[in-house]
Amino acid sequence: MAEKTLRILEEGQGEYSLPDPDVFREWTARKDRAMRPKLMTAQEAVARFVADGDYIVWETNYFQRGPSALIREIIRQRKTRLWAGGKFTWVIVALLVEAGCCDRADMGFFVGGPGVTRAVVEKRLKVYEYSNLVMAARLRAGAMGLSFISVRSLGGTDGFKYSGAKIIEDPYTGKPTVIVPALYPDVALIHVHQADQYGNARIFGTTITDVESALASRKVIISAEEIINTEEIRHKPGLTKIPYYLVDAVVHQPFGAYPGECPGMYASDTEHVAEVLGAIYNDKVKEYLDKWVYSVASEEQMLVERVGLNKLKEMQRRATMVATEGYRS
Amino acid sequence: MIKDGPWKEAPKATTFAEREFQVCIAARLVENGKTYWVAGGGGPMYSVLIAKKLYAPDVVYVAEDGVVGPEPMLPFDPVMTLAAARPSYRALMWSTMNGIGDQCAVGYLDYGVLNTLQLDPYGNLNSTWIGTYGVEGRRFNGPGGADTIAAMCRRVVLMMDHQRRKFVPRVDFISSPGYLDGSPGARERAGLPANTGPWALVTNWAVFDFEEQTHHLRLRAIAPFVTLEQVLAEMTFEPKFPPDGKVETLDPPTEEELRILRTEMDVNGQFTDTAAHWVVWEDGRWSLVAKEQGKKLSPL
Repeated sequence: MAEKTLRILEEGQGEYSLPDPDVFREWTARKDRAMRPKLMTAQEAVARFVADGDYIVWETNYFQRGPSALIREIIRQRKTRLWAGGKFTWVIVALLVEAGCCDRADMGFFVGGPGVTRAVVEKRLKVYEYSNLVMAARLRAGAMGLSFISVRSLGGTDGFKYSGAKIIEDPYTGKPTVIVPALYPDVALIHVHQADQYGNARIFGTTITDVESALASRKVIISAEEIINTEEIRHKPGLTKIPYYLVDAVVHQPFGAYPGECPGMYASDTEHVAEVLGAIYNDKVKEYLDKWVYSVASEEQMLVERVGLNKLKEMQRRATMVATEGYRS
Repeated sequence: MIKDGPWKEAPKATTFAEREFQVCIAARLVENGKTYWVAGGGGPMYSVLIAKKLYAPDVVYVAEDGVVGPEPMLPFDPVMTLAAARPSYRALMWSTMNGIGDQCAVGYLDYGVLNTLQLDPYGNLNSTWIGTYGVEGRRFNGPGGADTIAAMCRRVVLMMDHQRRKFVPRVDFISSPGYLDGSPGARERAGLPANTGPWALVTNWAVFDFEEQTHHLRLRAIAPFVTLEQVLAEMTFEPKFPPDGKVETLDPPTEEELRILRTEMDVNGQFTDTAAHWVVWEDGRWSLVAKEQGKKLSPL
């Protein structure tokens, strides 16, 4: 039989980590399967499981059921050289970059502003260009234990040139087909409505790529609004999105998505949302971080001293006044 | 593409913002019975919601967070247009980002509606960088979900402010694909599904489509409060014209369209109230009236 060659028609120049599923399988082989309590504070979880230089992903964002508390803890602990999976993310990349935590980002959607622009021009930040859905596809490829996945987008864009994508001649149809490298992050940060102490986790509402990120990431930190009994989990197993053995740490973090909304539980702090966006657009991120991150030792202190109980109650009330259907077991 | 509808007979507004006009015009292009993938928030979502309420009740829309067919609780909190309780209310399904991508990839999503910062004659979109990429200028948000919408929906409706700096011969960066270089098969050669691409552009002054053979932007209709010369002066390239040369005049917003937009959607004017003037019908003609002084800028 004549030897055939797979034709690569075009290649992007973006850097990416080698997406080798067998290397990832070696990692998962070592992960503890025991059902043991993993409850710890945000400080401990970030100190133990986020290392300088890690590739991190987070699910949803600073405004909508994101792990905002964990992100602030990363900034507080002054992690460095992180590579950020910046899909569907509003402000988190800008905060990490200005805090000096992040020097590479894979782009889907994030608010740039003068700080990010400066970091790119001064070459303190390298950005690789994908899109939200292509980043989601890369995580799905990781979650499937693959090295790449074929997508029907990204081709023809300038983003393609600055990505790790290739256009190949599809060996089945012969048509040009875009492929992108799988993503195997070092860390996934996922904020959920409910989890048990082992990490069995429930999320209500739309889920971006929570499940894919949990499967494809080496270390998984769950922060949860509520810690529930495993008996409750077993009573309604259809609600579990992430099983415990994927999870390394469980942080009980009420208002962990603050200032964002946690759908069904509390609405967003609209003033804070405007404040952080304003800080980014007006080049005042340092002041924002001083006020909300560096000057408080913990999330609990921030909630009590900077936000206040009345505001938190008002956020809860605004959630219960409106659409809470479907967010509770 | 510019069709008649209930708006023809409805009471017309006599004072409105140009972006309000733009949203209402985009709403009238919505095709009943079809599926829509709307970009989060702003003009795209407002136009589909107005259409659903007034003209196209059987439209179903999805968004990139995974929501399918919601009956959203309006208005939304600022920025909370996706992955939040109000926009997700009474949905048919809470899916995932890949779940929506799958629906689009297999062909279930007919139309996409998108905002863009910059546009070229072939409908390529830039939302990544204005200036020389990575060297000088300004970083913007990036494609978000728009790249996928632009690549895979069967027809794409674009929304953009009608400004000379935004209509450029070549976008500084192609964030999301239009017809690329305009040549036949360019999208397919880039790996994109066949029979897809930009279908309309709605600005605050005009409606365009894309000529079938050349894929070049073509002017179809202009607002009643601007002249053809004004529309062309705010572009750096000449659009194509219909074969019969006839550029239609659009109807102004109706009272009902504006009531819905102002009381249920853009209640603080965040999206629509950005220009320095109102459009006002007075003494039998349209004028642009400066907001602060209440004085006329340019009677037409």
